[in-house]
Amino acid sequence: MSDLNTRIKEVIIESLELEDITPADIVDSAPIFGKNEKGEGLGLDSIDALELGIAIKDKFGVTFSTVKEETKKHFASVDALAAYIAEHSEG
Amino acid sequence: MKSVAGKVFFTAISVLYPLIVYCGLEFWALSPRRLSLILLALAFYHFLNLTRSATRLERGRTSIFIVLILICAFVAFFLDNIIFIKFYPVLVSLSLLAFFGFTLFRPPSFVFRMASLWDKSIHSSPSRNAVERYCRNVTLVWCGFFVFNATVATFTVFMASDKAWSLYNGLISYILMGVIFIAEFLVRKMVQNKLQSYVPVCDLELDSRPGSALVSFDSGLEDGVKTWDDFVRDVSTVRHYLEARENKPWILHCEDSYYFTVSLLAMLQSGRKALVTANRQEAFIKEIKKPEYGFLTDEPFAGGSATMVQDVLANGESDGTLRFGKFDKSKAEMVMFTSGTTGEPKAVYKLFLQFENELFELVKVFGNDWVNRKVYSTVNHHHIYGLLFTALLPIATGLPFRRHRIDFPTELVSLVNESAVVASSPAFLKRLSAEADKPFDFKCPPIIYSSGGPLPAEVAGRACELTGMWPMEIYGSTETGGIAYRQSKNGLIWTPFEVCKMSVAENGCLNIKSNYILEAEGFTTGDVVELYDDGRFLLQGRSDSIVKIEEKRISLPEVENRLKQTGLVQDVRVVPMSGKRQYLAAAIVLNEAGREKFAGAAKLSINNYFHDYLLQFIENTVSPKKWRYLEELPQNTEGKIRMRDIQALFNLAESPNFKILKFRREPGVLTVKLVFPTTSDYYDGHFPEFKLLPAVVQVDMVLRLARNFLDVPKNLSKIHRTKFAGPILPDVPAWLKITYDADAAKVSFNYYVEDEQGNPGKNLSNGSFTMNPEESRG
Repeated sequence: MSDLNTRIKEVIIESLELEDITPADIVDSAPIFGKNEKGEGLGLDSIDALELGIAIKDKFGVTFSTVKEETKKHFASVDALAAYIAEHSEG
Repeated sequence: MKSVAGKVFFTAISVLYPLIVYCGLEFWALSPRRLSLILLALAFYHFLNLTRSATRLERGRTSIFIVLILICAFVAFFLDNIIFIKFYPVLVSLSLLAFFGFTLFRPPSFVFRMASLWDKSIHSSPSRNAVERYCRNVTLVWCGFFVFNATVATFTVFMASDKAWSLYNGLISYILMGVIFIAEFLVRKMVQNKLQSYVPVCDLELDSRPGSALVSFDSGLEDGVKTWDDFVRDVSTVRHYLEARENKPWILHCEDSYYFTVSLLAMLQSGRKALVTANRQEAFIKEIKKPEYGFLTDEPFAGGSATMVQDVLANGESDGTLRFGKFDKSKAEMVMFTSGTTGEPKAVYKLFLQFENELFELVKVFGNDWVNRKVYSTVNHHHIYGLLFTALLPIATGLPFRRHRIDFPTELVSLVNESAVVASSPAFLKRLSAEADKPFDFKCPPIIYSSGGPLPAEVAGRACELTGMWPMEIYGSTETGGIAYRQSKNGLIWTPFEVCKMSVAENGCLNIKSNYILEAEGFTTGDVVELYDDGRFLLQGRSDSIVKIEEKRISLPEVENRLKQTGLVQDVRVVPMSGKRQYLAAAIVLNEAGREKFAGAAKLSINNYFHDYLLQFIENTVSPKKWRYLEELPQNTEGKIRMRDIQALFNLAESPNFKILKFRREPGVLTVKLVFPTTSDYYDGHFPEFKLLPAVVQVDMVLRLARNFLDVPKNLSKIHRTKFAGPILPDVPAWLKITYDADAAKVSFNYYVEDEQGNPGKNLSNGSFTMNPEESRG
């Protein structure tokens, strides 16, 4: 687990005031919103999505496309989000 | 002729007299002269009985009867005339008429005398007056019959054949008597099953009950038994006291139901407005008490002037007259305070007329079940349901009531040999069904009422298993009084009291009009209703239980019911929360299956289980985001679960370092059961080989909880003293009681462990602080 992944998880927990969950409980490849067929996933809802988008923007200095489908892809999992941030934060 | 055989012999002759005479004339060819010997013998028999008569009057009456028989006998003998022989049945009727009729003018009536020989308890029964009236009527009916019978018998003597005379007096008249006997027996059975002792409270007078009638009792109290004489005297004494003082409104709080009822009746009868309050916290009394108000109570009160009922009764200011009697129910005023399920306690103005009308309705619907029972209570008589069922109803119906509440379900054991009415609540019945392991051996199953909140069907069923009777639920509120009733065995549907007219208000809530609601437009409750044509209805949750979470409407009971559907949940309360966003939070008490299923599971996995289950039915946005698993939901003293208490629980962020198992919040007091797991950070650096909770953590925990639940100021100004008497160990639940005196800005705390009975046991630590109220509140 990379440092970036852990930081993202911390931001998710902190910004959404999630209870009973630690970064270790979040599976890197599992969906952030809803759940996959294995039942993994944070199960966050659309209100959380808005909140999380703002938090990620603030913490990592990245912006997201206004095209909904594209953004959705970036938020598919912690891994996907980390990849997007790694690509966009510096350059 | 004192032997039994003699008595039977002569009674037989007396009864068979018409037949014997007929046979004598018809078959045995006896002359009237010979037959007159039978009359002589009967006269002799009555003469022997005469000596046993109790009073001179009775002797006098019997003497006249004997003389008349003798005259008939002699005339018949000397004239050898059959007419006089035939007169005997007429004489018997007239004699009985005299006997019965006389007691109508010198009560108690003959029938009542006989009845009280049979059942001595009539004299101290509240229905004695009603029984007396009934017996007098029966006596009257008999007198009427004897007049009729004597008339017909006389007619048969002169106008009818020997055969007809014999037939009427020897058979038909007896059949008529038998018919009256049976008819009276049937009527009596019907009347006996009816509550006859009801008198409206405002119509009670000195002689409404026999002086020896039992009013209240309590085996736990010395001098606990009070009779009607005591009651009248005590009400009169309190009236003398009240009427000698200028205070008009009086605040009333008495723990003892007897003192409460005495004081309330004295206030009503002397035209003093009564403010009935369950809350006797200094701060609350201060808030409602204007300078001209009096405060009558039965327990010492530290916060200013209060009058003790016991002192008033002991001092007995009086001019020697008994002041007790009717009052005008449409002028007698009261103020009740709601128990505040959703908000702060609210004052509700009442005219006594409202209670009186409701009592009438309750007696009409339930009264016949109460005959010869005693009233017990597990609820507070300062709230409307307790007031009606455990104070006013007993007084209006003459049923004796116990002076102190039943606090523990196990106390029901002491009622197994009694016929009881128990005014109870869902909270008590829940505890009963959880604590009792085998059915009580009631000689006569108690009638249990439940009100104050919905009674879960499984609790009702368990209560029936334990007591032998389904509890009767009453639905009502302080503002409306009783609205409807139901028993869970018949499902969830409510049957309204006849005087309550139901309709659905614009917002879908139930509107009630009745003669105990003053407003002509009725009262609209906060309960969403489905109303049927016959007036019966189903409740579908509070209207304030429909909330909007991020623009999405959701019914809290719906979420709660879905969670219960998992079969793992015993009790649950879902509350709306707001912060960065709006969300729902669920406080859950797992049932046995749930505890088994999740034994040792991480909290996150339990949350996920319920979350996933709910997503089958409701949207993610309105599915609870935060979860707490408690041993019991927090209830106030009336057994109500308040939304704001649950919300306060969620305002305190969940921490892996400690867990709240149970809590209870009353004004200025928080009692909480806590556990600090072995994995808690709090033990770090302190005795790793022997973990115990550091003092600084204990103090910090007190402040965190006090700020969160008791609205205590943020900053500490002084720590007074703390005493540590025992260690708080990992995974061993400890209790913490925090009291906050807002005036002194003082917080006191006490950690302790529970003993085996569930009572506060060994002290672990205690202390107090002063807060700095100038700073902004935390």
